[in-house]
Amino acid sequence: MIRNVFINAGSAVEIDRHFDKGFKALALEAFRRLESSYGSVEPDTLVISSMAPESMSEQIGIAGVIADHLALRRLKVFRVEMGEASGLAAILTAYSLVSSGLSKGVLVIGVEKVSEYPVSLIAKVYSMIGDSDYTGLYGISPASEAAILAKIYMDRYGYSYEDLFKWPVLMHKNAVKNPHAQLRFMLKSDSYKDSPIISEPLRLLDAYPFGDGASALYISSMPGDTAVEISGVGSSNDSCDAISREDPLFFRSVRESFDDALRMAGIGRDRVKYIEIHDSYTPYAYIVLESLGLVERGDAPRKISMESSSIDTTYVNISGGLKARGHPWGATGIYQTYEVFRSLLGEAELSDSYGAVQSMNGPGSQSYSVIMRRVR
Amino acid sequence: MKDSAPRIWRMRNNLYRIRYSKCKACGASFYPARASCIRCSSRDVEVRVSLGLGTLVEYTVLYQVPARMQDNAPMVIGVVRLDEGFELYGVIVDADIKDLRKGMRVEAVLRRLRVDGSSGLITYGIKFRPVIGAAHGEGSGRG
Repeated sequence: MIRNVFINAGSAVEIDRHFDKGFKALALEAFRRLESSYGSVEPDTLVISSMAPESMSEQIGIAGVIADHLALRRLKVFRVEMGEASGLAAILTAYSLVSSGLSKGVLVIGVEKVSEYPVSLIAKVYSMIGDSDYTGLYGISPASEAAILAKIYMDRYGYSYEDLFKWPVLMHKNAVKNPHAQLRFMLKSDSYKDSPIISEPLRLLDAYPFGDGASALYISSMPGDTAVEISGVGSSNDSCDAISREDPLFFRSVRESFDDALRMAGIGRDRVKYIEIHDSYTPYAYIVLESLGLVERGDAPRKISMESSSIDTTYVNISGGLKARGHPWGATGIYQTYEVFRSLLGEAELSDSYGAVQSMNGPGSQSYSVIMRRVR
Repeated sequence: MKDSAPRIWRMRNNLYRIRYSKCKACGASFYPARASCIRCSSRDVEVRVSLGLGTLVEYTVLYQVPARMQDNAPMVIGVVRLDEGFELYGVIVDADIKDLRKGMRVEAVLRRLRVDGSSGLITYGIKFRPVIGAAHGEGSGRG
């Protein structure tokens, strides 16, 4: 018997360079905040999503160490890692555990220490998300791949760099209202002029900031007093690099994972009124929105509303996105899911509609989607 | 010592030449080489070695260079379309950034990738340089 799966509670720690906190302290802080907002939970399973604790914190078996630090016992303990998409991969894992009946209550904590080393070393670790024997060994970094895709996008659809820079401006505007966002300050339409180039045409303001964070969710088979139901999940994959694909500007795995999740939820994409997407670099925001099928190919920069942060009737990245909320790697999918969960419960406008999260590793190399709705 | 000698030795055929896959079923060529066709999923693929001549399709100048590559900063990362009909990302060397242009002919060269301190391995691999004296979009001899 397949059981229904609910998100009962969640929490998020401010994303920042937490020089005074290691991964244990961050995970504990997320757990404490979850319990202080919801009451105590009694999980039988702990799922930790974390991308690179071996490289950044010299830690293998991180889930067991966190379980011990939180003094949780008699647990099934897992760590889920799928690069930048680890968080949403962990949600799919928790969903599977609960729906199968193997677990009754799963505590999911996404946690990542990113700002432990100088930028060049962080960039090297981040470069491991692709095929290390190919791109990694040659120094062909994710930023350079995003820059090349940005140029192909601008060339094909006739946009200037200034046209694309709308996205960071919008994300910073949204992040000002998000209490756990890392970059809570406004940008002007020409702020890029003072921003250093990381891989031309992309500047520092086109990339997510390096920051540490932890976010937690409690996922169970019991709806409780208020709950959001996970209505659909989906996942798919593609080549690690984008350039060997027939069209590098269409992330096929993003479309497939979203379509699978919609099919499972039994709804059309028009029912999704709010989505958090993976915008690690400016061009990816537009490519993802188009790959999801929320807007025609090549139209995303023209169609995104700077007033309401929406495409047609779907709100997009109210949180500020990876760009301005931040992107603590393996924790990001948990932050995204928490933000949609919190909005479905708190915003009257969304009470009868569906929310969604899209996550990916690299340029749509591996993709995950989750669709949810408020049920109580 | 950061670099593994067995790993670099094992990779020698991929580091010192461009090995790609050619699908015998649908004719697609692709890089890196894989066991099945990325277009039609056929298992009937063979590994071939490229002659290393191609065209620069797109490029970016990378300033945020990962650790251990910083002696090379800024790096030019390009998309090269090899004459055998597939595209890959490659590092472009021996060119002033202002002289680069899309459509220029490039050729594969063996270059140093990274050095592991004073007593570790020096790793070499394929990069690309403009074909000297070649006309735009058409090239032949080596410089």
